[in-house]
Amino acid sequence: MRTLRRFLSRVLSFQRSDEQRITTEIEAHLAEQTAENIRNGLSPQEARRQAVLKFGSIESTREAWRDQRSLPFFETLLADTRLALHRLRNAPAFTFTTILTLALGIGATTSIFTLVYAVLIKSLAVAKPEELLRLGKEPSCCYFGGYTQVDGEFSLVSYDLYQHFRDNTKGFSELAAFQAGGTDLAVRRAGHSEPAQSENGEFVSGNYFRMFGVNAYAGRVLTPADDQPHAAPVAVISYRLWAERYGSDPSVIGAVFNLNQKPFTIVGIAPPAFYGDALRNPAPDFFLPLNTEPYIEPDNDLNNYALHWLDLIGRMRPGATPLAIEAQMRVELKQWLRSHWGEMQPYERAEFPRQTLYLRAGGAGITYMRRDYEHWLNILMTVTALVLLIACANIANLMLVRSLGERRQISLSMALGARPSRLIRQTLTETILLSLLGGSAGLALAYAGTSLILRFVFPSSTGGIAVAVSPSPSLPVLAFACAVSLLTGIAFGLAPAWMATRIDPIEALRGVGRATARTASLPRKALVIVQAALSLLLLSTAGLLTAALHRLEHQDLGFNPAHRIVVNVNPRVAGYKGDQLAPLYQRIHDSLGALPGIAGIALCTYSPLANNAWGSGVWTLDHSEPSANFDHSAYWTRISAGYFDVLGMPVLRGRGITRQDTAASPLVAVVNQTLARRFFPNEDPIGKYFRRDEDPSSPVYQIVGVARDAHYLQFEIARPIGPFFFLSDTQHEFSKSSNTEISPGSHYLGDIVLLPHSGAHISKSQIRHAISSIDPNLPVTAIQTLEEQVSAVFRNQRLIARLTSFFGLLSLLLAAIGLYGVTAYNATQRTSEIGLRMALGADRKQILQLVLRGALALIGIGLAIGLPLSLAAGRFLGAQLYGANPYNPAVIAISIAALALSATLAALLPALRASSISPLDALRTE
Amino acid sequence: MKDKTDVLQGTLALMVLKTLDVLGPLHGYGIARRIEQISGDLLSVNQGTLYPLLLKLEQEGSIASEWGASENNRKARFYSLTRAGRKQLHAETQGWQQTASIIDRFLTAKAGDFS
Repeated sequence: MRTLRRFLSRVLSFQRSDEQRITTEIEAHLAEQTAENIRNGLSPQEARRQAVLKFGSIESTREAWRDQRSLPFFETLLADTRLALHRLRNAPAFTFTTILTLALGIGATTSIFTLVYAVLIKSLAVAKPEELLRLGKEPSCCYFGGYTQVDGEFSLVSYDLYQHFRDNTKGFSELAAFQAGGTDLAVRRAGHSEPAQSENGEFVSGNYFRMFGVNAYAGRVLTPADDQPHAAPVAVISYRLWAERYGSDPSVIGAVFNLNQKPFTIVGIAPPAFYGDALRNPAPDFFLPLNTEPYIEPDNDLNNYALHWLDLIGRMRPGATPLAIEAQMRVELKQWLRSHWGEMQPYERAEFPRQTLYLRAGGAGITYMRRDYEHWLNILMTVTALVLLIACANIANLMLVRSLGERRQISLSMALGARPSRLIRQTLTETILLSLLGGSAGLALAYAGTSLILRFVFPSSTGGIAVAVSPSPSLPVLAFACAVSLLTGIAFGLAPAWMATRIDPIEALRGVGRATARTASLPRKALVIVQAALSLLLLSTAGLLTAALHRLEHQDLGFNPAHRIVVNVNPRVAGYKGDQLAPLYQRIHDSLGALPGIAGIALCTYSPLANNAWGSGVWTLDHSEPSANFDHSAYWTRISAGYFDVLGMPVLRGRGITRQDTAASPLVAVVNQTLARRFFPNEDPIGKYFRRDEDPSSPVYQIVGVARDAHYLQFEIARPIGPFFFLSDTQHEFSKSSNTEISPGSHYLGDIVLLPHSGAHISKSQIRHAISSIDPNLPVTAIQTLEEQVSAVFRNQRLIARLTSFFGLLSLLLAAIGLYGVTAYNATQRTSEIGLRMALGADRKQILQLVLRGALALIGIGLAIGLPLSLAAGRFLGAQLYGANPYNPAVIAISIAALALSATLAALLPALRASSISPLDALRTE
Repeated sequence: MKDKTDVLQGTLALMVLKTLDVLGPLHGYGIARRIEQISGDLLSVNQGTLYPLLLKLEQEGSIASEWGASENNRKARFYSLTRAGRKQLHAETQGWQQTASIIDRFLTAKAGDFS
């Protein structure tokens, strides 16, 4: 209590001058003592002298009193800060360069760390995420059929298997299931006239929100009662969609929305921070009970107990251990499989002993983003860490040069009795101030940088960011930025301060530092060497990534993306079935084809590089297989007549799909060159037959044409194109044994490709209007040019290449500044030496060489160290280069040239200045 | 020359409080004289150190001060004990006496006393 009171009193008297009181008190004291001494018989002078002696040092009393009165630490700090600000203002070039360098270094690091934190580290915004367990070692998508899964690991489950786990696993207080991946929904608010919007939904079990411990932002969340076969259909909407699309309209709660033409009542709004069970793009905007799946989707996946499409996350009971739960669930899995022994295929029975499952920490949800972006982020982290390192080296250099420049001042202070600790404290204050200023500028830069990156990687249709990663640095990121900026400040502030106080004041004042300049030049040279080496490393990394991107972007895609427009529609969610599809396509074909300026139109399940295709096998009829492990797999898509002309994909032999290929005519197929070469080596494939299945009763296709190899799939983009075939959209195939249609889903043609006449302009609204006049319930998912679709494939590579190039150039600039500083400083140090040389007959060229040689030697050593590092970086990048040469000599040569050139420029300036000095002036200095 | 004992850390505050308790409001010089007199000039207060201590006690609220006139009609700062100061004096006096008696017993104890 007393301490607090004292502290308050000191704070109150902070900065208040109260010298008068102590002066008066001391004076009074001395007067009284003097008076008493006189009374005791001393002469007035002696009485005064004795009084002062008895009192002790007046000055130290005064000082002790002052320290006592207020908070001396803070007052010194304030004085130091004021002095530091004053000194920084007097050196604007130094201050600006330092703050800018720091801001760039800290900004880059923080920006990338924000992404790393959000994608790799952060937990879901749910209650006690550490209690959650997830099924599966790695996230998988989206469907597995049958009674065995990849490598015998069950990572997805059917609804039936989920119920088995839920009802028997006692270690979970709640076990929730939800759809792996999302589902496209055609959304119309009942009673509104706007055309259907395409939104993303997710089927979740009734206890989903309860398991996560998440309450509704408004209204209520789903409950197990909603997830019953005949419950009234309800949905929870995401906060994001509610705010962005519906303007936070409270009447949305309780409103009826038509999802795929089926009425749903919106019962609540999910909290803003909750973006579902996984960080993904797009995030689900509608959460629907699992039991509404058969209600709005034709597939009825729910009641297919051998179709595994659900992810599991459970909350452990207190006291339960993950290992015990995992062991129990493995037993339950075997029980469930045994109960379906009768339906299993022979190979599934053979695989039975291998089947098992794994549980992993589920606090971060289903980590798709981590899986997809971890490697990229690691590269970026490394690159930004190097940039920060270079920035710190640069700042250390600047500080060293600065402190050496102030050597005289420091020596003078020391000679006058300043304590070294006080001088170090002054320098530290200055550097911490600088790093805080740089840090806050860096934070602003980081925010801008992160939102730029997010907009670039995950653009949303409304112009915002489509993924639930906030660009604003959260608390841990803020702490990280502060720690980095402070540590940087202390790291680069301590060395110069310590060195400054190590200077012998007499020596320094007498010799004006000639001796000390030598001792200090080694660390500065080392810093320049490190900078040069790291810059070369970053430049060549940037060069390699750019070269790889260039190679990817300029490869022959096998089709012509120019001018083409791709319109995505979703007839499935609009409720179209089987025989309604062909008339719909005819209407789309006629309506869009009739738009002014359209030269051609074709429909397909998937257009090139839409990053999807159907997969199946190819079995020829008249070939015995070359070997047992011959790979039969191929990809395929359905197309309408005229497809090859519209896509600019030449048919090299035979013909394309035409209007003569109908439901009544024999099944035909067009194959690509690779398929022809692989399955029909050394023979003419035209007229040959193949099946999509090994089963001899499956349908047979006749090959009518061979089309040029073209890229369809993003993950194949850097590899040779695989076997691919095209089937007619009008032909349907049926299994002879069960008389059911084979892959009916492939008849949902979602991609419409338009080829306008050159010069004609087709607006998006024209297209939307044409589609909505056909059917307002048919949602247009996206409209973009084929070039945009292709370009999106390289989006990540482009971003990484651009970012590393930016960081590479930044490091080059920083290294040049560093070299300039060192060369300029050295040249100034040697002014008198240069004067002497010139007086003795050296000409300008020789002086120029003298100065340049020193600088370029440093760069040379830096290059020698950087070269092996760059080669190692090429190895490290490996797969990210997509087959480009990791030891590209051109890239390394250009990087070296760029570094050498900018280094020469940076050194030339001070060298020219040194050589242009007149010998007389030079000798007169000092 | 006789050695004077330095004032033990922390005991000076107690002496100041006791002085003000006994004599009532007093200026700095008066307090210093009183402490010297009571200790029989054996204790030397380096008089200057008194003033930061007075300020500290005032900040802690144990004493209060105001300007007044000394016996010689000089402007001086007069210190007086507050209620809190009186309580503190009481508590510290007890503590001190206890400590002193323990030390005293310890020092006067003979080898056989407690065996």
